[in-house]
Amino acid sequence: MAEPTRRLMLAVAAAGSLGLAGCKGIAALGPLPKPSPDVRTLEHAIAAEELMVATYRAAAGQLAATASAGVKGQRLSAAVSAIQAEHQAHLTRLRARLVLPPRLAHTKFLAGRPSPLPADSQGIIGALVADERAAAARLTSELLHAPPALAQLMASIAASEAAHVIYLRRAGSP
Amino acid sequence: MMAARRGSVAGGSGGSPSRASTAGGSGGSPSRASTAGGSGGSPSRASTVAALQTALAAEQAASYGYGVVGAHLTGTAFSIASADCVLHERARDALTRLITSLGATPRAAAAAYKLPIGVSSAADAARLAVDLEVEVVASYVDLAAVPDPRLRTLAAKNMQNAYVRAARWGAKSRPFPGLAP
Repeated sequence: MAEPTRRLMLAVAAAGSLGLAGCKGIAALGPLPKPSPDVRTLEHAIAAEELMVATYRAAAGQLAATASAGVKGQRLSAAVSAIQAEHQAHLTRLRARLVLPPRLAHTKFLAGRPSPLPADSQGIIGALVADERAAAARLTSELLHAPPALAQLMASIAASEAAHVIYLRRAGSP
Repeated sequence: MMAARRGSVAGGSGGSPSRASTAGGSGGSPSRASTAGGSGGSPSRASTVAALQTALAAEQAASYGYGVVGAHLTGTAFSIASADCVLHERARDALTRLITSLGATPRAAAAAYKLPIGVSSAADAARLAVDLEVEVVASYVDLAAVPDPRLRTLAAKNMQNAYVRAARWGAKSRPFPGLAP
């Protein structure tokens, strides 16, 4: 899902350089480079974390707007914000592992928009729980194709995401 | 110039699976002693056996430690501790079989373990359970990097299960369980 965007970025960057140089076009450069399987695995993990961060951002905003005041509402908002920060930390560390040519160093991986969340706070917690479980399962599957050090990082992140289920449920309990 | 690879992964695709080798800053604990537990064999086999031995040692310690945890709990908490203890004993036995299947000798458990904290109350027992589970998570990190995909999966799942148990016992959430901050 991130692939077309990255390819496009590369093509645009290359075409821009060619234009400045007065060349005929990107075709003169030959086929676009393909990412290695390692890079694709990392890109997928980055895209998934980007989506998770966006989902939590939306959840935090929705809870702030709809959650009932009081201890439970504050507990829910605090838990969602804390977990969002952990997903941001995951994303930062995953991005640090991707070594890109300088002109692509700030490329953003567009993983798509988060799905709409339910209207009520319990529904939001349920949706986040499902997302966390899916994320941990996906990482467990994808780390099989990662180089050793990245596999360790992905396993750690998967453990973190599996435990988020506990923290979310605790925050959402009466 | 366009023939260059589009990107690469810091830390590389080869090299040692040891946590000390996680270049790019994923962190990791200090490297462990290189004790393969067997003689001869390929480097990957040796590192696999070493990773299994590391996980085994943590599961042995957890099996022992949960005995102390349970001794200070009653009711539902005691039942949960008992169930968690059984899970660690099963993991310990499974790791023992895996090490044997690779032609190596599983390290024997210690007769007793020095606990990281003194336990004299139910709250202490819960803290000890957290410590045991967090240590188990860290003990599987090396195994998550071995070439055998079944063992990687085992490591990842056991890390998740242990950290979920740690959370249930009251662990503070951390973004990178098992790795250095």
